[in-house]
Amino acid sequence: MQTSNIFLNRMGLLLYFRVLPRINFNGEMMQNIISGLDQSHEHDSGKERKLIGDRGYYFLNRMQGETGVDISACYQCERCTNACPVSHFMDIKPHQAIRYVQLGWREDLLKSSTIWICLSCEMCSTYCPNDVDVAEIINHLRNMAAYSSITPKEKSLAVFHQTFLEVLQKSGRVNEFRLMNAYYSKPDILKERVKQGILIEDLLLGMTLLRKGRLKLFTPRSRAIKEIKKIYSQTRGEIA
Amino acid sequence: MRLSFYPGCSLEGMANDYARSIDAVFKDLGIELVEIEDWSCCGATAAHSLNQAMSVVLPARNLAAAEKMELDIVSPCAMCFNRLRFSQNMIKKKVFDIPWPVTGDIRIHDMTRFLAEPPMIKSIKERILKPLNGLRVVCYYGCQMVRPPKITGYTDYENPQTIDRIVAAAGAKVIDWSYKATCCGASIGIARREIGESLTKRILQKARQAGAEAIVVSCPLCQSNLDMIQKDRSDRPIPVFYFAELLRLSFEEHANPKWFKMHFTDPVPLLKAKRLL
Ligand code: SF4
Ligand code: SF4
Repeated sequence: MQTSNIFLNRMGLLLYFRVLPRINFNGEMMQNIISGLDQSHEHDSGKERKLIGDRGYYFLNRMQGETGVDISACYQCERCTNACPVSHFMDIKPHQAIRYVQLGWREDLLKSSTIWICLSCEMCSTYCPNDVDVAEIINHLRNMAAYSSITPKEKSLAVFHQTFLEVLQKSGRVNEFRLMNAYYSKPDILKERVKQGILIEDLLLGMTLLRKGRLKLFTPRSRAIKEIKKIYSQTRGEIA
Repeated sequence: MRLSFYPGCSLEGMANDYARSIDAVFKDLGIELVEIEDWSCCGATAAHSLNQAMSVVLPARNLAAAEKMELDIVSPCAMCFNRLRFSQNMIKKKVFDIPWPVTGDIRIHDMTRFLAEPPMIKSIKERILKPLNGLRVVCYYGCQMVRPPKITGYTDYENPQTIDRIVAAAGAKVIDWSYKATCCGASIGIARREIGESLTKRILQKARQAGAEAIVVSCPLCQSNLDMIQKDRSDRPIPVFYFAELLRLSFEEHANPKWFKMHFTDPVPLLKAKRLL
């Protein structure tokens, strides 16, 4: 009786660790678990199969080293996604993003809307039971995307950050009037606003703000401009 | 008492009324705020999103200037406070090269927490000439002031109390609610309006459900988000005050309705109805 039990156990373990991983559907199963509820996601097609390889391990190690976060500790409880106020606008949910990092799917992450939609509100990091700093990881991916040649999926958001830094390095402080001017002068942004038909509304809002004295045309600059420019040129990332 | 003051870019523009109220309130409390010499922007969300080195180096410049003055920093803006604290942490870890001499040993206060300490509450209570009796408010903290707790040092990050205590000391009735630290969307509304609106509208709706007549905030961006979304006047207007405005109102016998000119949702009718103006 006992021997047969041990035998069955052994067989079970063998099946689990040696046989199952070699069967083809394993990769697909993995993907179904990962993409989960979000059926709209492009990985669901099931045709193109992505495997975890050496590169996944490399990427995970790199991310863990650069952010100092123990990403392997994530057990996909989805608490981060449930805490996130904008997860329904994201294509890869925060907990999925963590899984993607574990699998080394770097390009998918850098191409996602997630990294630009994220507000850095830190809800995810605060409520993760395993102390995975999700916000920091998404922020780090956003930095990587800025240094890569990948066109951001949420261009208007990315361009806004970029404009902010441009204005900042021009005057050392950010004046809202100059910021909005610079933002609307970006060709893509202006076109998009006209297309959405909200340009007039925006202009009217600007007028009201001016009238109320909330927009100041001139504010003092900081003498730091030169130093800031130097640091900026040494370290900058650009939106492709 | 002397403190170095890091106003931040918003207080020169969109939140000019906040800056003026802070000046008046601290003068009344007898605390001298010394503006940091030639301060520069903290980089806000953009710097840490695109260029992590900048997000450490930019606030470090202001920290260095404050260290030279040997005065602890107080910051009225939630974002600036968060970035200064973050930079201080990173300076101590020595990850990035900082071109200025800076040790990161200075204390950085968030303005509301500084004023909510028991001795400060006591001196606030002593200076009140006109208590805000009958004004029913909810306090809204947003994200950057309380999260991540590791950086901000808040232990009650789920139900922060600093603004609650200050406004209660001024005599207002503070109502409990669950949306104190829910994100308002920050600058996302500029580029993706629908996302911003979905967040601010929910906060306003919950404030109305809680029975509040006004919202009290401390962050310039939260104020403009919650205030400007009400420009269509589709529902019961709910003015959004800075806590410093309410303190100033209670510190002065004869308040001037012109202070509130910069608000989109005009608070004057409400204040008149409560006989506070
Ligand atoms: S909350 Fe933490 S453990 Fe849970 S899914 Fe998110 S990152 Fe993973
Ligand atoms: S930091 Fe980003 S991912 Fe995390 S909860 Fe906030 S918006 Fe969501």
